[in-house]
Amino acid sequence: MTDVPPRQSPAPEEQAGGAADTGHNGGNGHSPVTVEFLSEWRNAAYNCYSSGHKFCREVCPVMQVTRNENHTPTAFHANVVAMEQGELTVEDVAEDYVNCTQCGACELRCPNTLFTGDFYRFRTRTVDLVKRMRALAVDNGVHQPGYQRWNELTDERSHEPVLGDTPVSQEHVRDWAGGLDIPIGGETVLFVDCEAAFYRTSLPRAVAQILRRAGYEFGLMTEQWCCGGPAAEMGYRDQARRFAEHNLADWRAAGVRRVLVLDPHDYITFTEDYPEFFGDDFDIEIVLVVELLAQLIAEGRLTPTVPIERTITYHDPCRLNKRKGVWQEPRQILGAIPGLTFHDVDRVTQWSYCSGAGAGLPIERPEIARKISENRMDEAAQLEVDTLVSACPWSERPLAEAGQDRAIDVVDIHELLAESLGIDVGGRTRA
Amino acid sequence: MTIAPELSDQVVSELADAVGGQHVLTSKTARYNRARVPAPFPVHRWAERVPDLVVMPASTEEVAEVMRIANAHRIPVVPRDGGTGLTDGAVPERRGIIVDVKRMNDVKAIDTDNRTCTVGAGINMLKLNEVLAPYGLLYPDDPASYPCSLVGGRIGTSGWSLIGSRYGHSRDLVLSFSFVLPTGRVIRVGDGGGPKVSKSSTGYQLKHLFMGHQGTLGIATEATLKLIPKPEAELSPFWAFPDYDSAHQCVQKLAHAGVATFAGAVLFDEWKVDYLRRDDEAYIPQPADVRALVCAVAYGNADEVRAGGKRFMRIARDAGARYLGDEISQGDWAARHDRYATPLHGRTRAGQVVPMSWHCEDSAINWTDLPQVRLEWHRIADDLRRRFDMFDDWGIFAYTSAATGVDYLTEIDIGIWEQELDDESWTAWVQAKKDIAEVAVRHGGSISACHGACRDGEVDLVPVELGGAFDVMLDVKRAVDPNNIMNPGKYLLDRAYETEVE
Amino acid sequence: MTGYRYHEQHTPPPARQVTDVAVERFEHIFEVDPKLMTAHVAQQLFPNWDTLRIAASRGDHLEWMHRHWAYQVISAQELLDEIESEQPG
Ligand SMILES: Cc1cc2nc3c(=O)[nH]c(=O)nc-3n(C[C@H](O)[C@H](O)[C@H](O)COP(=O)(O)OP(=O)(O)OC[C@H]3O[C@@H](n4cnc5c(N)ncnc54)[C@H](O)[C@@H]3O)c2cc1C
Ligand code: SF4
Ligand code: SF4
Repeated sequence: MTDVPPRQSPAPEEQAGGAADTGHNGGNGHSPVTVEFLSEWRNAAYNCYSSGHKFCREVCPVMQVTRNENHTPTAFHANVVAMEQGELTVEDVAEDYVNCTQCGACELRCPNTLFTGDFYRFRTRTVDLVKRMRALAVDNGVHQPGYQRWNELTDERSHEPVLGDTPVSQEHVRDWAGGLDIPIGGETVLFVDCEAAFYRTSLPRAVAQILRRAGYEFGLMTEQWCCGGPAAEMGYRDQARRFAEHNLADWRAAGVRRVLVLDPHDYITFTEDYPEFFGDDFDIEIVLVVELLAQLIAEGRLTPTVPIERTITYHDPCRLNKRKGVWQEPRQILGAIPGLTFHDVDRVTQWSYCSGAGAGLPIERPEIARKISENRMDEAAQLEVDTLVSACPWSERPLAEAGQDRAIDVVDIHELLAESLGIDVGGRTRA
Repeated sequence: MTIAPELSDQVVSELADAVGGQHVLTSKTARYNRARVPAPFPVHRWAERVPDLVVMPASTEEVAEVMRIANAHRIPVVPRDGGTGLTDGAVPERRGIIVDVKRMNDVKAIDTDNRTCTVGAGINMLKLNEVLAPYGLLYPDDPASYPCSLVGGRIGTSGWSLIGSRYGHSRDLVLSFSFVLPTGRVIRVGDGGGPKVSKSSTGYQLKHLFMGHQGTLGIATEATLKLIPKPEAELSPFWAFPDYDSAHQCVQKLAHAGVATFAGAVLFDEWKVDYLRRDDEAYIPQPADVRALVCAVAYGNADEVRAGGKRFMRIARDAGARYLGDEISQGDWAARHDRYATPLHGRTRAGQVVPMSWHCEDSAINWTDLPQVRLEWHRIADDLRRRFDMFDDWGIFAYTSAATGVDYLTEIDIGIWEQELDDESWTAWVQAKKDIAEVAVRHGGSISACHGACRDGEVDLVPVELGGAFDVMLDVKRAVDPNNIMNPGKYLLDRAYETEVE
Repeated sequence: MTGYRYHEQHTPPPARQVTDVAVERFEHIFEVDPKLMTAHVAQQLFPNWDTLRIAASRGDHLEWMHRHWAYQVISAQELLDEIESEQPG
């Protein structure tokens, strides 16, 4: 056997990479897109398959509920090998991939990431694999009914069909900002995710007013659409790309250089999906609002003074803590708020926590998502806190529901900071 | 006799009645994903090991009911827990039913007075210890698979713990367990009748028998475990040596020192050091005269760990060791679970990175025989690599199994490029495994100190190693499992039924 | 503050050769010499934040593992220093 040159196709941004040896998957009756997928994912799949050690299992929020080995990252990778071997088809495997919140715990805990991912510049990418497998299913005409409907509705309305009193449509996307007189356009704009724009409107109001308090200038988009991230997560890549193109065009037209993001899910979309779509052309700076606020506090531009008498714990949103390594800044913010009693749980322990809300799990598997939320609130209940603070709007609705039985309030960190700054936020927090 | 019959609808509906329809899994993915463990196997032969279906029971009673159904229909049953076992134990050889016990993962009781806890067989030790932490207690079964193996699998393999030299191994830490026999009868096995007894002299001592059988005798469902106070302190110095022999001398001096907090010592040979230089941040920058390593580990009360630790430091210094510093020592010990099965360690002969599966041959060898066994094993591995550019010698670790230094879990790690495995290289590999096992047996050791020995190759030598005891094993198997439904095909136990078949 | 910028993220610091098979780009973070990953397994596109995130998480994980097993970690260097001062040579 001799070493053969790698297949010279440019690996897409932050994708599996791992150009395969040529001539291996042989077709096996798969469609051309499947064959291409298999060659792209071959080495990544084997890199897990050849380990098979399941360090990922116990941190996975879905596995903690179902205990079903089909739902492990191990299986998600092994299925690719089985497809390559002609043992399984995309039809056989597609449905299993709904059992994932794309929280990123497994891929971070995997020794192939945590111990050698940086060394080899080759890490486990379960989240990307789940996204790609869902997309492959869609490309092969295999749809999950809940995802299909959700994305159709999103496509119709240009926003996700979040439940609430505000009708989801383009005319209402800026309703949350009523009375705040925020300009349109400018060098910096604030991007507000669908849940916050149409449901938890107190959150963007808090952010907008805090920034104004600090003298930080920003505007709103001319015509904001859904970021496209949920479509990418559920496998509707063409739609995701269309939405991304729209938003990028909107930014370009208004001369935007910088986008402020208050939702961790959007942050992932803008720093992982958009770069993948646009590559070198992606010249917009993406700023995470919690990081910005922590900095404004450190610089003395914001000083929370109103004491908040609550006993809290902090929920590390998966997409910040596990997927981006952002965990210090929220704690810096909480540390600056007077009156709080903080029972913190370290961020490594929280790798195995999740709200259950990610990547469409509540759409296809609401009972599993609910159980994950309950597990998370059980952990909080053991700390004898009255409040759980989160930094992710998507986590807050399900956690608040699970919190009701346990007498634990769920509060958003931006809103908590606003309160301590003496800002009367307005808007709504709860149905 | 034990070729699985087509599972009739009748059987499936009986099983559904027993465990609930949603816990009988028949999909292809459910079956294919329970046909593997981390031990390498030719990928193109995957289909040979696929079960007919999977059940996921939630209680001892449900397991018993499944077993009665299987026994009545003579269907093979393979228990599966974490699926991390390295001897293919949880992989069916004759299709049949996988009994996946992972749903049984609750903590049923914590007894702080007697320092025990009672748990379902599907619980993971790390997760259990998170629950025990607020009580200041710890369950100290610490295999390298600590984050992923589960208590039922620890019983099924009679596992080995990295800190067993102080706290004992699974067999010492599991006090008792509920056990479902192949007939569906449930018994409690332990050190005596009471579930929380650690030493008894009543009757036959059956606990050993019902541990380490690789699911060939029945299924453990619930276990009572011995707990320790969470240690005040940990110490884990690592030392470098210019040659293997001085490291070999030093490791035994540490084991012989009689330090009460001694929890284990590890010896790394020259091949292991070379391997670490490929990609381990601690060893990449080490000077060339680092040829072998030793580490010693202590746990316990801080004052005692300190006192014992000073003794270690003195012994190692006098043995010519260079202390590698706190950062490496502490970091490497904390990384003890994570550095085994990393495929990109693999290198072709040309030095290119390829994803290789980790194979670990894990014999028990006496200290006196370590140097010679090591040379013979490397010769076998080097020969393989010369013939096939898909095997890679990843070096040898030797770990104390007991505080006295009597024997060492000695593992040679070999990387195998599974993407390339074909029938020819697989046959050569099976022969190599047999040769490796033969060396262990010839040197008066045991083929396996922790994983078990039922894979192709080494399994042929089990009757040689055990002699007359193997015949007793056959008698026991026939008595406990008259229809050979439990994990048939493993450990050459079919021989127990050969006369009947004829 | 500066947020995510594509070009920044995809411009890693220059590599310094550490051994025949390893290089260093970020301080204390070694990487395989990329020439070893040209035949069978190609490296992935790796933004800088990801390298730094993994390295930091590794440190956090190791620290967590110590705490998980014992309340304190004793410095062997301290013990060695004590021995040296008690009986020099
Ligand atoms: C990275 C890595 C490191 C490892 N390090 C070690 C180590 O240091 N020490 C060590 O001992 N092992 C080690 N192993 C091997 C493996 O983790 C152990 O053998 C472990 O005990 C298997 O547990 P499991 O839950 O994964 O069991 P499985 O693999 O599911 O099963 C193992 C065997 O037990 C049987 N079994 C499973 N459940 C039951 C039950 N409830 N009742 C009866 N039989 C049952 C199965 O049929 C099978 O034969 C390592 C493995 C890996 C991947
Ligand atoms: S994802 Fe990582 S931890 Fe999980 S089985 Fe694969 S290689 Fe092992
Ligand atoms: S991303 Fe999260 S939910 Fe999905 S498999 Fe990994 S750990 Fe499980």
